[in-house]
Amino acid sequence: MDIFGSFALILALLAAVYAFGAGIAGIVKRRPLLTRSARHAGMAVFALITVAVAVLEYFFFTDNFAMAYVAAHSNRALPGFYKFAALWAGQEGSLLWWSWLLSTYVFFALFLNRKKHPELMPYAGVVMAGVQIFFLTLNNFVASPFNVLAGADAGGVLRMATISDGHGLNPLLQYPEMVIHPPMLYLGYTGFTIPFAFALGALLGRYPGEKWIHITRRWTMVAWCFQGIGVLLGAHWAYAVLGWGGYWAWDPVENAALLPWITGTAFLHSVMMQEKRGMMKVWNVWLVFVTFMLCILGTLLTRSGMVSSVHAFAQSSIGNWFVGFLAIVIIVCTAAYWKNRDYLRSDNQLDSLVSRESSFLFNNLVLLAACFAVLWGTLFPVLSEWVSGSKISVGPPFFNKVNIPIALFLLFLTGVGPLLAWRKTSFDSLKRNFTWPLAGGMVAGIVALLFGFRSVYSLMCLILGVFVTLTIASEFYRGARVIAARDNVNLLSAVGELTMRNTRRYGGYIVHFAMVLIFIGIAGSAFDQDVQQEMNVGETLKIGSYSIQCQNFDVVANSNYRSERAALEVFKGGRSEMMLFPERRFFLASEVTETIVADQSTPLRDLYLVYAGRSPETNRPVIHAYLKPLVKWIWFGGMVLVLGTGLAMLPNRRTALVLRPVSEPSWAEGVSTETSPVRAVAPRSGDD
Amino acid sequence: MSSRSLKIRVLVLAAVLIGLMLPANAQEAARAKSLSGKLMCVCGCNQILGACNHVGCSYSHGMLKELDERVARNESDDLTLQGFVQEYGPTVLAEPPTTGFSRTAWIMPVVFPGVSLYLLWEVVRRWRQRSAIASASGPSVSAEMLARAQRESGRESDE
Repeated sequence: MDIFGSFALILALLAAVYAFGAGIAGIVKRRPLLTRSARHAGMAVFALITVAVAVLEYFFFTDNFAMAYVAAHSNRALPGFYKFAALWAGQEGSLLWWSWLLSTYVFFALFLNRKKHPELMPYAGVVMAGVQIFFLTLNNFVASPFNVLAGADAGGVLRMATISDGHGLNPLLQYPEMVIHPPMLYLGYTGFTIPFAFALGALLGRYPGEKWIHITRRWTMVAWCFQGIGVLLGAHWAYAVLGWGGYWAWDPVENAALLPWITGTAFLHSVMMQEKRGMMKVWNVWLVFVTFMLCILGTLLTRSGMVSSVHAFAQSSIGNWFVGFLAIVIIVCTAAYWKNRDYLRSDNQLDSLVSRESSFLFNNLVLLAACFAVLWGTLFPVLSEWVSGSKISVGPPFFNKVNIPIALFLLFLTGVGPLLAWRKTSFDSLKRNFTWPLAGGMVAGIVALLFGFRSVYSLMCLILGVFVTLTIASEFYRGARVIAARDNVNLLSAVGELTMRNTRRYGGYIVHFAMVLIFIGIAGSAFDQDVQQEMNVGETLKIGSYSIQCQNFDVVANSNYRSERAALEVFKGGRSEMMLFPERRFFLASEVTETIVADQSTPLRDLYLVYAGRSPETNRPVIHAYLKPLVKWIWFGGMVLVLGTGLAMLPNRRTALVLRPVSEPSWAEGVSTETSPVRAVAPRSGDD
Repeated sequence: MSSRSLKIRVLVLAAVLIGLMLPANAQEAARAKSLSGKLMCVCGCNQILGACNHVGCSYSHGMLKELDERVARNESDDLTLQGFVQEYGPTVLAEPPTTGFSRTAWIMPVVFPGVSLYLLWEVVRRWRQRSAIASASGPSVSAEMLARAQRESGRESDE
């Protein structure tokens, strides 16, 4: 059976090589038959890797411990749910999973465009096949998941071996969210291959216009959304499992996942400049290239052991392969750009510094500054070791000092950008659009100051959050008011109608609102409280307005783990509110102990209790209690982000409105009167 | 001195001492907490010392205890941090020092946006120059188009 899996992987590699070679030959010789067969080979890769994945899953579910990968990451007592997820628990399996997700994207990209864009698709197909060849080479020759356990017999002859039970899954991964988090993140990482392939393909083939952007907009949004969900799920997992009371530690692997998301965000904004005004073509192409390169860099950091991280895989030589691949990608992208740079000339110039275009420029600049700061801090320990010979740490204090001001400026731009008109914004328009949101923000700030808010950054975050929320609300209100008056419907229905007429624009606003929620949630951390105390049964710990009394310690066991559990009764104002049960689990197969946090979460605050083990000196149980305001806003913001992105991907609802006479009052008048001339001057597709 | 007044004196003295000690302990705890945010746990968990709750971590407990002791001795912050650097090496500091090559860690995140802003300004300036030149020279219109425009504008005025 293992031969079956290995064979499927070899065939997949051969199919990818054929798709690459036949694709190039089809382009050079202009032979449609070759191009078509290359496409079919590209699609076949998906089927072949699916077989390999199915075989490996079969080994997990049948406890085939003759397979080295299964023996290292599973055991008999592991619940089926986690046996499935054990596929991506280690280097080899996760690379196979990566290849499968990539091949799924490639399959759909090839299949859905099989009758479209005949000039562009062969180029994009070749690029996608090139990326697949790299990962399949790793799957076959560097980190094969189908290696069998072997041992030398008495005569010194190497024979296949088997063990009675596996080492078990890493306890940190035995959490429901870990079944979802890696696939989400990988869907993000691999998904950016599609816009990269189309961008590079369009550049290589000098494909005219902004077609590649229209084709890849939804693909980019899908990848961006998955990357965002992956990052947030990872943060939630760290919060719920690691038990240190935080969700983001600026760990190199966390940073690596954030980097492509940041450049992807910049790209999603700047493509609008190209769609609307034919500007920033070079910038957009390079943003996609850089986003893809950062995906590879992130994988390199995670898998090579180059930087120390609790999330990283073990140190291995696989990093050299990623360095090589990254070098090839940089060379190919640079060469393609240099050869075809004339093709990327802007159609239009910037008319005014106070315009939507310039706000996008600033937004991109700030996003790139944030990306650079995170990348710089992440790589600085390695750089420092190279240059000065001594390694230093770059921890959360550095990242917070550097990134918080950048993030706040970005939040400010989130409010300003959408209210500026394309080409030029008049002073009257600025006054009309910004007076109330600014006033609202200032009032919120004053009220917060009166209530004793003294954290500067949190105060600024609150002011800007209110400002951005009001700008978004005013955009919805002004548009909906016109529709409500004209169609004689209530304001809520009009908001729905407005959103569905320009899903990209209003979905984008919802995403902006999601970012406000996430920022407010993060700002709440300035008011965190924590108390650590040794507690015997009957003793009480006080935190904020809560008293936590220890009722009992007991032991719960099953075939997978043995858990020591504290039963804590929470009182507020002398009244019993709830019981919470933080645990420490000892996993039998891996012989590793982990904490299981008890978290009582409300929109206002989280009461987060950790059973931190026994004091080495007194052997008394130690409870660490945290009171963390507004954490739930972060997770809720994540859900709103998904909703907004989903909305932005929907096609616009076409209405008869566009056919009405020009004299009919347009909703756009109320929204941004200066947008109309742009539509007349540069009638490009795409909504803002 | 009667035994009653002695008892009162002892009680008052004890109360004063406790009163003095409590805020001092609270201050020490706050200082120790603040310093623990400037140090990394050296167990490899990549977390700041105050946040490392790594089960079975063989470093954080001892390091925190040492920190408490140094704070209780009223050592200055700098001396405490330097003491940890001596003992555990420079990786124990949670942020790069502002000396030597490490200074670039702080400089570059400022330089990069500064240089980018300058480049952006240059690009925008060139764009605007080109835009101005283009509008001064006027659009290039063929004779045929010009004649058509004149014809159509004449027709509009006739109407």
